[in-house]
Amino acid sequence: MKTLYEISKSGLRACTLRTADVPAYSFKRGLIGEKPNLPEVSEPMLVRHYTALSKRAFGVDDGPYPLGSCTMKYNPKIDEYAANLPGFTNVHPLQRSDKAQGSLAVISTLSAYLLEISGMDAITLQPCAGAHGEYTGLQLIRQYFLMRGDKKRTKIIVPDSAHGTNPASAVMCGFEVVSIPSDAKNGVNMEELKKVLGNDVAGMMLTNPNTLGFFEKNIRQIQKQVHAVGGLMYYDGANLNAIMGQARPGDMGFDVMHFNLHKTFATPHGGGGPGSGPVACKALLQDFLPNPRIVWNDRLGDYRFKYSDKSIGKVTSFYGNFSVMVKALAYIVSLGGAGLKKASEIAVLNANYLKALISENYPTPANRHCMHEFVVSLEKLKEETGVSAMDIAKSLIDNGIHPPTMYFPLIVHEALMFEPTETEEKESLERIAEVMNELYKVAHENPDQVKSAPHSAVISRPDEVTAARKPILRG
Amino acid sequence: MSDYLSITEKEKQEMLARIGVQSTEEFYQDIPVRMRAKKLNLPEGKSTQETCEFMEGLSKLNKVYDTVFLGAGCYKHYIPPVVKAITGREEFLTAYTPYQAEMSQGILQSIFEYQTMICNLTKMDVSNASHYSGATAAAEACLMCTEKAKKVLTFDNINPDTLEVLKTYLAPRGVKLIISKTKDGRANINALKKVEGVGCVFVQTPNFYGLIENAKTISKVVHEYGAKLVVSVNPISLGILEAPGDYDADIAVGEAQPLGMDMNFGGPFLGFMAAKKDLVRKMPGRIVGETVDHDGNRAYVLTLQAREQHIRREKASSNICSNQAHCALTASVYLATVGADGLREVAQSCASYAHYMATALEFVGAKPKYSSEFFHEFVTVTPGKAKRVLQALDNAGILGGWLLNDDEILWCCTEVLTKEEIDKAVSLVGGVL
Amino acid sequence: MAKLFTNTHEWAEVDGKSVKVGISNYAAGELGDIVFVSLPSVGDKVSYGESFMEVESVKSVAEINAPVNGKIVAVNEDLDAAPELINQDAEGTWIVEVELDGDVPADLMSKEDYEKTIK
Repeated sequence: MKTLYEISKSGLRACTLRTADVPAYSFKRGLIGEKPNLPEVSEPMLVRHYTALSKRAFGVDDGPYPLGSCTMKYNPKIDEYAANLPGFTNVHPLQRSDKAQGSLAVISTLSAYLLEISGMDAITLQPCAGAHGEYTGLQLIRQYFLMRGDKKRTKIIVPDSAHGTNPASAVMCGFEVVSIPSDAKNGVNMEELKKVLGNDVAGMMLTNPNTLGFFEKNIRQIQKQVHAVGGLMYYDGANLNAIMGQARPGDMGFDVMHFNLHKTFATPHGGGGPGSGPVACKALLQDFLPNPRIVWNDRLGDYRFKYSDKSIGKVTSFYGNFSVMVKALAYIVSLGGAGLKKASEIAVLNANYLKALISENYPTPANRHCMHEFVVSLEKLKEETGVSAMDIAKSLIDNGIHPPTMYFPLIVHEALMFEPTETEEKESLERIAEVMNELYKVAHENPDQVKSAPHSAVISRPDEVTAARKPILRG
Repeated sequence: MSDYLSITEKEKQEMLARIGVQSTEEFYQDIPVRMRAKKLNLPEGKSTQETCEFMEGLSKLNKVYDTVFLGAGCYKHYIPPVVKAITGREEFLTAYTPYQAEMSQGILQSIFEYQTMICNLTKMDVSNASHYSGATAAAEACLMCTEKAKKVLTFDNINPDTLEVLKTYLAPRGVKLIISKTKDGRANINALKKVEGVGCVFVQTPNFYGLIENAKTISKVVHEYGAKLVVSVNPISLGILEAPGDYDADIAVGEAQPLGMDMNFGGPFLGFMAAKKDLVRKMPGRIVGETVDHDGNRAYVLTLQAREQHIRREKASSNICSNQAHCALTASVYLATVGADGLREVAQSCASYAHYMATALEFVGAKPKYSSEFFHEFVTVTPGKAKRVLQALDNAGILGGWLLNDDEILWCCTEVLTKEEIDKAVSLVGGVL
Repeated sequence: MAKLFTNTHEWAEVDGKSVKVGISNYAAGELGDIVFVSLPSVGDKVSYGESFMEVESVKSVAEINAPVNGKIVAVNEDLDAAPELINQDAEGTWIVEVELDGDVPADLMSKEDYEKTIK
């Protein structure tokens, strides 16, 4: 397919503008640049170009999206409707707070609901994504120890099954990462944890359920031991969709956490963003939350901004990805407490059902019920047939199913990680299973067919090696 | 209550039977009993209709101003309707990050086209796929330049939020931020001569006060001292003003909200980042590259991924994962909609209205604070009366500029204004003075 | 000149004070298609057993540890344009040349001994 630049024709335009009804201002010659090289297309050409691109993309609205760790649930249309209300879109972030009470009410109400869901004490909605939330949360931990004059706490413990953002965020905050091994059956290895605990530990990052889709049974001991040496517990909220209304990170002993509104609270992923990564914490960290916080002034009966000297400062401009917050609020408001709990329950049911339908051919690391996602290993299949996790994933594309997450977590060989979410209906899960089981058969009978997949996509497998060796990064 | 679920009670029972459990409670047996949540204390779920009404009600608590003179980092521009018609398509909105290239060529190509447009706009070599905001793009750009020389020099005339974010991001990495005071509103690059070991100089042009910096001279001095130049620009200004590549900047960043995004109470916005070719492997975030598939057809993929957190973990160039992809799409569609001529017209109109208003305000007694060239924002001085000026405008349903202090206001004009609106505002200001 | 190997899969070819350094065929095979070699700067000091540069494949990064103490005196600039040279012949492609400081570490292995460790 041609690019916008390749269809561009000099002189065409997709919109015309009103001429300013004041004298045209002329800048000094030395300040003026050449006209930038931008595409020149008519409106019909523009629309057909992007419509063609959209047909070469695949969203949750197009079909099953069991992408583990990503919670690709349906994005309700009323949430989009709400976010696009002119009363939200046309509000300037610096207009006086008494003229922006609706926006402040959105932030404040969503904040209160997230605190109830998480069992935490205070919150900021400023971070723009999960990793940005991790960064913010770890900054709170850093600030907490700085304020106490405790300079020796330089280490953050991260299990080797953790999301890559965890160690990367810790380093961005100036911490040293201590990776500890975990096993695919039982999660965090308690012996290994004990070995690294000491008074140089600032905290530990954990996602629960873990990236294998299992609840960390030892969570009580883990948090007790980390707290016993003076460290704090960070909860990576990527997997919160499993436990809404069932268990709360605050009650599990976590001190600080982030949410992914674009996962758990149904806001769209947008082809990679924008998301939103609110950070909630226990009272001991609340003074350090980013500026400004939004508080209800009871005496005057309105919402206000509040700035704190102890704050870590700002982590982005203004208040974060506001319209994502509007969507998440609309979602929570429509489901209510019982609805959220049911969403988690069905997400877990769906994952266990899909697991049951394919586990004969695709074994999981432990014979346990999973939470909202599960990991299968194709190590044996690969030995028998030469067909890899990647090959099976690519074959799913030919069947109109988005592949699961591949080769993650790193501790499982030939891993495929399925998270069907509560969105899928029973027939849809059965179809995924049917395709997976059929592929298992084909892998044994005609492995080359699987290895050369996809066959029906707009491209076959791309040459990623040449892309990285000789990068072409612009047209 | 709405729940968006498609499984009936009967199906649920069938599924439980197939799994071999009595109830979904059994799935949660690993959660220690003492950690089980009580019933969530949240309001009952609302019907679809009530949810709409509830959200509409909240939106009505905001004041929407027809006339806006407030900028300061967030700008009200005209957004051609075709932009939302395209970006609202569900395939763009509900897709995940394009890790599965075969199924995501549309998303990947749109990002590749975005990178191309950002490179052409800034006249830089390479662009990433987006950052959270202009402020975080600025912070990460400074981190790219300070691996060895751990100092960043900047000025007190950059956007205050950007300055705050720089402070937040640089300190934990052991990078010292030196904030040089300015006198006439513009950066004084002589400040660089007084400090050693500066990794990069961060400049914003037009700066927070709307003034156009002397970028050529700054760039020359910065490079003489062996430092890198990171520059933050308003992308609309590049429709008419010189681009960062014209004055040899090493990294160009900025807030691209003006390219087709609503004000949205401050987000989601779009941080862009473009750099010289030799810095590409230090760049944070996703980058799309062109390659071929096994049959020799052109294809796009996420590339140079070994920089990123999902591979390099604690040694990654940044922790960024989710970015602002849909905002980048919006910016591309906007740029292709207006084209080079349209962007120049928008920039020209912004400047024309701003200069018209500045002159008119001076005529009624609101003197300009600075004398050098500005783009579409400028500062007036009305001793002791700034608050009253803004209140008078507000009383008339006009959103005035940003109150800098008791005396000074930062105004902004864009192409959505008319002479009539400006005249009316100026006369209200004149009434106060 | 016989090559000596480390247990982290580097090789060193010692010629008086000059030591050429590369990675083993086994390491190159494990990494897969190498797409980028981040060459260090001439003049950088390196310490035995410590990482001083990286090679990247599409989906992984490997650190290269110095097999000796010393100072970088030359880098193989051909690898900038053609990192695939390492895949074609890892043990015939030097990456950097180090000027040896002190003795050759005693625990470097012969090719024969090294190959036993990777079985």
